[in-house]
Formats: sequence, structure tokens, C-alpha cells
Amino acid sequence: MSLTARSRPDGARPPGAVEEPTVAAATAGTKVRAPRRTSEAGKVPWRIRLRRDRALILMTLPVIVLLLLFNYVPLLGNIVAFQDYDPYVSSNGVTAILHSPWVGVEQFSRMLDDPLFWDAAKNTLVLFVLQLVFFFPIPIALALLINSVIRPRVRAVAQAIMYLPHFFSWVLVVTVFQQVLGGAGIVAQTLENHGWSGFDLMTNSSLFKYLVIAEAVWKDAGWGIIVFLAALAAVSTDLYEAAAMDGAGRWRRMWHVTLPALRPVVALLLVLRVGDALSVGFEQFLLQRDAVGAGASEVLDTYVWNMGIKSGDFSYAAAVGLAKGLIGVCLVLGANKFAHLLGEQGVYQK
Amino acid sequence: MTPNAASTSSGPSRRSFLASTAVATAAVAGGMALLTACGGSDSRSGEGTTSGKAADKLLPAYVASTVAKPDLPSKNGSSAGFTSKVDLAALQASVPKKLGTGAPLKIMSPLWGTPPKDGCAYYKAVDAAAGTNVTWQNQDGNTYAQKLGAVLASSSIPDMVVVPSWILVSNKLPSAVNAKFMDLGPYLAGDRVKKYPNLAAIPSDSWRMSIFGGALRGIPMPSAPASFIMPYYRKDIFDRKGYSVPKSADEFLSWAKDATSAKAKVYACGDMSWVSGSIFGAAPGWNIDADGKLRYGIERPEYLEALEWTRKLFDAGVVHPDDKARTGDAGQRFTAGQILVFNSDSSAWYTKTAEQAHANPDFRIEAMDIFGADGGNPTLYASAPATIWSMIRKGASKATVENALAAADFAAAPYGTKERMLVDYGVEGTHYTVKNGVPVKTDQGNSEVINAWTMLAAPAPYFAHPDFPEIARKQAEWQQRMGAFMKKTSTYGMNIVEPTRYASLSSQFEQLQIDYVRGNKKLSDVQAAISTWRSSGGDKLRDWYKELLDKNGSGN
Repeated sequence: MSLTARSRPDGARPPGAVEEPTVAAATAGTKVRAPRRTSEAGKVPWRIRLRRDRALILMTLPVIVLLLLFNYVPLLGNIVAFQDYDPYVSSNGVTAILHSPWVGVEQFSRMLDDPLFWDAAKNTLVLFVLQLVFFFPIPIALALLINSVIRPRVRAVAQAIMYLPHFFSWVLVVTVFQQVLGGAGIVAQTLENHGWSGFDLMTNSSLFKYLVIAEAVWKDAGWGIIVFLAALAAVSTDLYEAAAMDGAGRWRRMWHVTLPALRPVVALLLVLRVGDALSVGFEQFLLQRDAVGAGASEVLDTYVWNMGIKSGDFSYAAAVGLAKGLIGVCLVLGANKFAHLLGEQGVYQK
Repeated sequence: MTPNAASTSSGPSRRSFLASTAVATAAVAGGMALLTACGGSDSRSGEGTTSGKAADKLLPAYVASTVAKPDLPSKNGSSAGFTSKVDLAALQASVPKKLGTGAPLKIMSPLWGTPPKDGCAYYKAVDAAAGTNVTWQNQDGNTYAQKLGAVLASSSIPDMVVVPSWILVSNKLPSAVNAKFMDLGPYLAGDRVKKYPNLAAIPSDSWRMSIFGGALRGIPMPSAPASFIMPYYRKDIFDRKGYSVPKSADEFLSWAKDATSAKAKVYACGDMSWVSGSIFGAAPGWNIDADGKLRYGIERPEYLEALEWTRKLFDAGVVHPDDKARTGDAGQRFTAGQILVFNSDSSAWYTKTAEQAHANPDFRIEAMDIFGADGGNPTLYASAPATIWSMIRKGASKATVENALAAADFAAAPYGTKERMLVDYGVEGTHYTVKNGVPVKTDQGNSEVINAWTMLAAPAPYFAHPDFPEIARKQAEWQQRMGAFMKKTSTYGMNIVEPTRYASLSSQFEQLQIDYVRGNKKLSDVQAAISTWRSSGGDKLRDWYKELLDKNGSGN
């Protein structure tokens, strides 16, 4: 393990760089940019750089425009969080911002006093932790499993089957689960025929958190293996051969070659996941809200939807959404820092 | 007997689309929902209501239609019923000449199902007959509130917009109605409406419900006061099993336990929440009760009793698990025999009968009479005389308004006219064929003739089903029987816009009811919510209503 520990990407490389191929795959961008910034950026004038990179800039321009238009401009709308916004006060919803009264941080203090908000926040955090513990490792395990399958045909079929549920919509997933685990589903019916009645997993509010994890695993665990498989594919077979030559068995090869190769990717995804901790899902919870009650199923995203889109309380919903976003940013920064402390690259570097 | 053309979509039946698809919202639309919030908010203008003489001045004159006499005239607030054979050859025209001038007209309407293509044969035919040139912007009915909210917040509002009352509950949309839609008074008030004979034949009570913020802004789709949610049962299965129809709340529960067999996949009922309020006589909304006190729906003991009874059904395991999970379509479980009782509005009687006629000839659906909780007569509360309106945007040109009114007038043609037949069935040979004197829709008819035109307006409520005239009779007779037990709340027939600060006061109760009856909330949670409601504005809202009723007089 100590072989792979590094504090910075431009720091001294440890000998026998076991992880080299993976790092190159995962952080190619950083590696190319980093030297340029330090060596050239200070010297080459801005204008020349512009001309030199013209083709690249032109290529990224459409994406930047779209990003600005659909991601950054709408961000300005968050200003309604400090208002008592009424979209109908003026001829259209944008100019209505100018006519709505300002209320300062009233929406935020209302949020802090709202027990329903805290319920939603609590559910969100509990679900995040459960997802992290039960969902996150599964694609890794599956990737290792798939990777150990040699025959390409078997491998392709297994992968296809595992990817498939990802393309089902949540409506379909919930319906399938209802038909299997619901009170009138296959399991309940089978148990009924054997004298056990009353099985109904779909309306049990205390088991709901595990149910949604199970649904998520069924739907998305297969899809999640893609990035790990890519990382595994980048591991040079030389390493395995060398390890085998040195007498390493199957388990030792996995421990000393495969897992270290996966480490940067795992750290990267973990950071991303933690940054996204407050987004545990939306449709899945909205669909099953009535079955288990709002008390068990309300998460921050559904809460924002209910308050904003459904009840028309846009300012309050914007305040909650904004608070969620801010906490998310803090979590990304924190998780990234933590990744650096562990010696990984994380999402970005200074 | 001249009543001719056939109709499956009279005023009340339009809510049926909700009954099968948008269950939660329809509960609010139906007058018998446990919780009927009374409109919404406008902080700038139009708070309160307009009634009495002030309202009468705004209303169009009433000129009854003489086209067809119903076999069962309206009684006790029921819809009228047409039950005799129709003579398709003797259809009359309700309006002698085309009222539309062909000016382009954009209409946004909710639609449940797959919208027909623009310029399909049906739209072309109706446009040609009405003299209009409509571009439809049909939106999915299940998410219509969200769509409408966004459209009204934009600067491009269609010329004519269909606005259902249930989307005006607990949000800021009521203020949008006042801000974005025009006063139709200059076109319709008093004798001016006589240019549009079918609109003039819409009952005044329905027009009165169309006054928003002191002006007539809506063209109503009238609804019979006795349009209660019906508890339907499978008559064929009841007869085969020898069940007798329950006559009290306790009887229902014990019958339900008896009839449920999880092993055979048969459950007694779906979610009975909608009808439980009627069984327990819970007055919806604001009413001055017998003791002279002004109360809101959720404050009455009957409200909690109704909820507790519904919860007992869930606890006893007699409700289908899918209804407990609120997935799928209860109507389909009913026709499949998985549940024996389900709630819906009056239209399901016909739609289920027609749908099952070929596939399952034994299928019989009947509505049981609503029983009082203790086995006596029920106390029922009249539902609003209009719950859906079409409105015209502010700033529309005179030509646009006149074409929009022409379209509404065409859509409001009474039973027995060529216009009605065209709106409900389309073109003979293309959309329907006549078999034994009864029009039957073709496949093209079924895909094109769905509710777009019928959303614009409707004649006085009626039932008529040329293919199943017996059903129309049963529907009308059920409403007449039940209408005999009908009362009106103090706020009946008033379109009330509450101050905006109370807009979200009651918004949590819909979910709370759903959660409580399913055992996911405790009774104490409901009671706590009620006292929070009181302290966080409900008591002030009571004062506001007291003043409103003092000023306008009571609706009952």
C-alpha cells in the first residue's frame, strides 16, 4: 500500500509506480495542464495563447454557451429566496422578480423553524449513509467479479444483463417491485398459499430505507461498474505476470495489484458522491410517498418540489434549495480535502 | 321524443378523467372530498367573494334551452337524464349560423390520454362547423397545474385557457387568474349573452361561481350539486355470492372482512377516503354549524370519525395492497374483480359498463346508496355548481374573444343538437357508425374524439348514453335519491379568494390524510396539525370568513 502513497501529483514519484496507468487514465487532464500552468502561463501572453488554442476554444464554445444559458443564468433566479416571490405579479415571471417584495433571510429562518424541513434533512442524511454503506461498494465488487471472467462472450452477456435495469424508468422499477414484494405480489401470494399472511414490504415505512437501497442496487449497480471496469482495463497485465512470477496467489494479486489500481477512481467517485450527499434521489421517493407516508419518504429534493412546484411557494423552496446547494459545496470541499490527506488526487487540485 | 345525439361527456363526467388517472386531485375537485379548500389568494385585489345583488349585475341572462326535454328532469340538484331512443336524423341546430369568423385562436387545455394530432379530421370538422380556427395546446391533465403555473408566469399566454378549480388550491394561482384573464362582462353580462344561446342556457349558479375578483372571468362547465362521489360495487359478484349491500359503517366493515380473501386475491374495497366524509356527514370547507359556530372542514368531529373509519378498513386488511401503496388504477382492479367496491364520480358507471360490455358480459356495476354512519339517512353536502372554467387572456383582441366565445358556445350545445353530436362523436362514417340507431365510435373516433373541445364549456348537467340508456336513468335516479339528503354549506356557490397569507395553511392535510388512514401517522399527529392550523392562521381565517359571510350573507 505504501507504494502508492503520494502527497501531490507533481511530487516525487515513488519507485515501481504500480498505479501509473490508472493515474494516467483518470487524471490525464490535470497532468497535461499542470506543467503548462507552472512553466508557460506566466510567460506566454494572453493573446498568443488565444490564437494558439483557437481550435480548442471554438470546439468548447457551444458547450460553454449551453452551460451558461441553462446552468448559470438560471442560478440568478435563486435571488427569489430573499423575496416573497409571486410569479404572477407582473407580465412575466422574470420581471415579477422586480415587483416582488424583499424579505431578507425570512425564508431561511422559516426553514430552520420548520420541523418538516428537518424531517426531510434527517431522512436525506440517513439515506445517504445507507447508500454509501450498502450501495457504493457493490459496483466495485461486481467489477472485480466481471473482470475475473475470462471468456468474452460470457462477460458481454453478463454485462448486458447488469446494465439493462439502468434503462428502466423509476415508475417501472417501483411497479416491478410492487408486483413482486407488494401485499398482492408474487412473494405475498406464495407465502399466503403456505399459510403466512400479511407480507407487504412496499408499505412498511420502517423498512422503507432499505427498500429504496434495494431498488437502487437493482437498477443502477450494474451501470456503476463501467468506470471501475475502465480502470481495471488500464492495469497492465505485466504487473499481474510479475506478481505471479513472484509467487503471489489470486488474493495477493487482487490485494497488491487490482485494488491499488482502483484506489484513485474510488476516491474520486467517493468525493463526488459525498459532494452530492444531499441528492439521494427524487422520482423514486415521490412515487412511493403515499405508500409509506411522507414521514419516511420525504427527502430534501421532494420537499423542495412539494413546496415550490406543487404548493407554489417558490421563495421558500428556493431558500431550501439554495441551502442544500451551499451545504453540498462545503461537502465537496471537505471531501476533496480529505482525499488529499489520504494522498489521493480527488476532484481537483489547487 | 327528439333527444338525439349521444353523450358520454356531460358536465360532471369530465371529472371522470381524473377519477381514473389523477386520483388525488380529483378528490379536491369533487365536492365530497374530506378537505375542500376554498380557493386561494390575492394580496393585491380580488380577495373575498361577490354575491347577492352585486353578483347578479355581473351575470349573463338565463335563457333555457328548448331543444330537448329530458325524460328525467333535474330534481334535488341532480343532473337531468335522457333515456329514450335517439333519432339521429332529426338533430337540430342550436345556433342558426356560424358564430366564428375564422380568426386564429390558441387554446390550452388539460387532456387525459394521447392528444390527437393537430389538424386531424375531428378538429377540422368541428372548426368548420363552428367557424373557428383553433390551435390546440393540449397538456397532460395529471401535471396540468405545474404546466399552467409556468405558462401563466410567462409572457406568452394562449388566447383561451382551461382552468380547473382543483389547481387553485393552496398556491398563488388564484391571483394569476385575476391578473392574467379578462373580464368577460362586456361580452356576456345581461342580455349580451343572447348572441351565444348555448352559453345563455348555462344555469346562473354556475355563472356565479365564475366570478373571480369581482369580475366574470370564467365560462363555466356546470356541475350538478348532487354530483357526489359514488361508492360503486360489483353487482354481479354481490349477487353470485349472495352479499347484501351494507347499510351502515359497521355493516360495511364486517361485510368487507367477510368478502376479503387474500388467497383468492380478492379484497373488499379500494381506498374509501373520498366517500367516508359523506357517510359521516362531514361538511366540507367553511360552514356555520348547527350550534351557530363557524368551522372549517378539518375542525369537525365528523372529519376525524370519517378518517378513523377509513383507517379501520386499512387496518383490517380489506383494502387492496396496491390501493394501500397507491399504485396502479383502482378502476382496473374493480373491473378485474380484485376489489368489489371502489369510489369514483358518476361517470364511471357508464364508462366501466361500456368498457366491459364485450370482454366481460356478466359485469354489472351499481352505485350503492350512501348510508349514514349509524345506518340512518346520510347528510350530504352539495358540490360546487362549477369546478372547471375556460378563460380568455387579458389583452386579447375583440375578434379573438368573439371566436373564443363562439368555440365555447359550440361546446356548450345541449343534448339533441347537431353541434353536441359533432363534439361528442365526430363525423358519421369517420368517427362513428350507427348500429341499430345507436352511434358507435370507430377506432379513429376513439383516438381523436377525446376531451379537448368538451373542456371549453358544457350545457346544464345531464346524463345520456344512447348505447346504455338504462345507465343514464340509474345515474339520474341515484342523484335524485341522494340529493334528497343534501344540504348546502354557508359558503356554497361562492367563488371565494382567500388572502394570500393563508394560501398554504391547509396544504399539509391532503398528505396527512393519506398517511393517517394507512397507519403511517397517528391520530395525535392529525390533532396536532389541526391545532397548529388554528394557531398559525386558521382562527384568523375564521374571522375573515365571518366578516365575509356577514357581508355577503350565507350560501345555505
